[in-house]
Amino acid sequence: MFEQIFDTALFDSATRAMIPILLAALGGMICERAGVFQIALEGIMLAGAFAAVAGSYLALSSGVGVIFGMAAGMLIALALAYGTVTRRGDSIVLGIALNLLAMGLTGFLLPQLFDVRGVFQHPRIDGLDRIAIPGLSQIPWVGPVLFDNTIPTYLALLLVPALWVFLFRSPIGLRLRGVGERPLAAETLGVSPTVYKYGAVLASGALAGMAGAQLSLGNVVQFAENMSSGRGWVAVVAVMLGRAHPVGVVGACALFALAEALGFRFQGNGLPVQITDALPFVVTLIALVVARKRFARLLDLTTAG
Amino acid sequence: MDELRSLSQRALVSPVTFSLLFAFALAAAIVAITGGDPLAAGEEMFTGAVTGSGLRNTLGRAIPIIGMALAVSIAFRSGIINLGGEGQMVIGGLAGTIVAIYLPGPGFLIVPTAMVAGAVVGALWAMLPAYGQTKLRLPILITSLLLNYVARAITGYLVRFPLSDVSVTLATTRQVPETARMPKMPIFGGVSLSLILVILLVVLLWLVYTRTVVGYETQMAGFNMRSARYGGIDVEQRTVQVMVVGGAIGGLIGTHLIIGEALRFIDGELVLSGFAWTGLLVALLAVNRPIPIFVTGLFFSGLQIGGLAMQRNAGVSWRLSQVLQAVVIVAVACRLAIRRSDRPTAEAGETEAAGLGEV
Repeated sequence: MFEQIFDTALFDSATRAMIPILLAALGGMICERAGVFQIALEGIMLAGAFAAVAGSYLALSSGVGVIFGMAAGMLIALALAYGTVTRRGDSIVLGIALNLLAMGLTGFLLPQLFDVRGVFQHPRIDGLDRIAIPGLSQIPWVGPVLFDNTIPTYLALLLVPALWVFLFRSPIGLRLRGVGERPLAAETLGVSPTVYKYGAVLASGALAGMAGAQLSLGNVVQFAENMSSGRGWVAVVAVMLGRAHPVGVVGACALFALAEALGFRFQGNGLPVQITDALPFVVTLIALVVARKRFARLLDLTTAG
Repeated sequence: MDELRSLSQRALVSPVTFSLLFAFALAAAIVAITGGDPLAAGEEMFTGAVTGSGLRNTLGRAIPIIGMALAVSIAFRSGIINLGGEGQMVIGGLAGTIVAIYLPGPGFLIVPTAMVAGAVVGALWAMLPAYGQTKLRLPILITSLLLNYVARAITGYLVRFPLSDVSVTLATTRQVPETARMPKMPIFGGVSLSLILVILLVVLLWLVYTRTVVGYETQMAGFNMRSARYGGIDVEQRTVQVMVVGGAIGGLIGTHLIIGEALRFIDGELVLSGFAWTGLLVALLAVNRPIPIFVTGLFFSGLQIGGLAMQRNAGVSWRLSQVLQAVVIVAVACRLAIRRSDRPTAEAGETEAAGLGEV
């Protein structure tokens, strides 16, 4: 029974479920470190998924699609950065409004540009190819799960150690954390919080935009309305649970992804789709309860004083 | 006369005015870029919202929009970010529908019973994140949002299996029997009686906010939770109270949407309507004040009804209305105004629109 459930196919589908969440969560983590509360990930991911399909359709190239996705994500992130950093607006209000803006805009542009409703599929849309890494992909178990994947997948996995080095072993990372933890001290030392916060938010836009591209060109090759379906919010929780640390974040993302993959598997075994769809969110809520001591700071931030 | 001038001057430099103009200009640009005619679209939008059956539809759609705005504004005003309006509306709505379909009896008893059932279940659902925050210190912002997806799954399962109407292919409940439907008033060609309920709620909340201790205390918690606690206000208890009232209103609106409008609980339909989120934007723009919520809710409803007319007659998707609404809030939250200030924080009193108290 156990071996029937936990086979290679399960971990393969878990990896696919994890990558979009992980890319978005790594972006959210950088923002958190720079002292910006980033809750627009859901909308950025959705906009990225749409722009990626549009770019791939126009240029017949998945690479162009990914670049379009990242650019769209950065555009929304720019609005967030301008609003929160330059205009000192409320990051929560802006995040909510930008999520709804992305929902409305993708829902508007879908019939307007492609004359379809709900779902956009077309042979012109070039999906991301899986690229097997010679040698590594031959390793039993791990090989086909990790080393036969799309470029955004490899990038996401490489970013985990890379961002650890960046945050904790590089001068720029130190300054970024300084801006987040002691903005006044950082400013006194000649580090501009504005520059670092803009950089962090734009980076999260590029990453969450890429997450959307992986969703619409990697996991499937189509755009469906609201196809991010809560993954951006799960990424927000992953940042909290992982205490904005790369290792913690990847652990939290892996947990949710495994729940999603298990749900998918149980669906094959006859469990209703409505129940299995809820599984990642239920697991997320349980994880929050278990790890509740970790995020007193966020609570203070979201409850006014 | 002077007063009138100063009022018009204030309106001119108000961030809300600027944000509206900005949003309409951006929307027009988007229509033009995607190959539409912005002037024709705008004209269709306006006439569609206020002429013919448009006025009735605008009033009808304003009911859930204003209702959901009131529901979340109660928590926002206390500095509690309740993003769970959707779940509270959906799960309360199904509870009300079950009562309306399965409880026998005369309509004048069934309709109020169904509304109460919807309100109670909506309130219970809202208590989950409320106690999550007061007992377990889990932020309501996150838990209430995640519970929306759980509510979708629960209602989806119930209407697909135990409550399913097997005579149709849709995943839906049976139709609400004629006796258990919310009556329509003979004005503007038939507007649901729920409009009166929403108006009563607006008045009631206005009275509570401006005339009672509870209204004062809940707002103090929104301004500054720590000083409210010093002032002897039981912040935890108030948190649960505002969430319960908000959830109850959400459940009422959900029930109204089925027994007054759709007549069947079709899986996913309430979520797709987006009323919870439109209401949230209305609450933000009206800074949680009941009477401005009523006015803004009517306006946003008109935008959507006009948008549908625009889609029919000018071939421009009605989703443009959603874009418009979100852009208004983004612009207000960025504190954009004609008279730009170099010290945006100094004029917080004037530009606190789209703020959640002092979050």
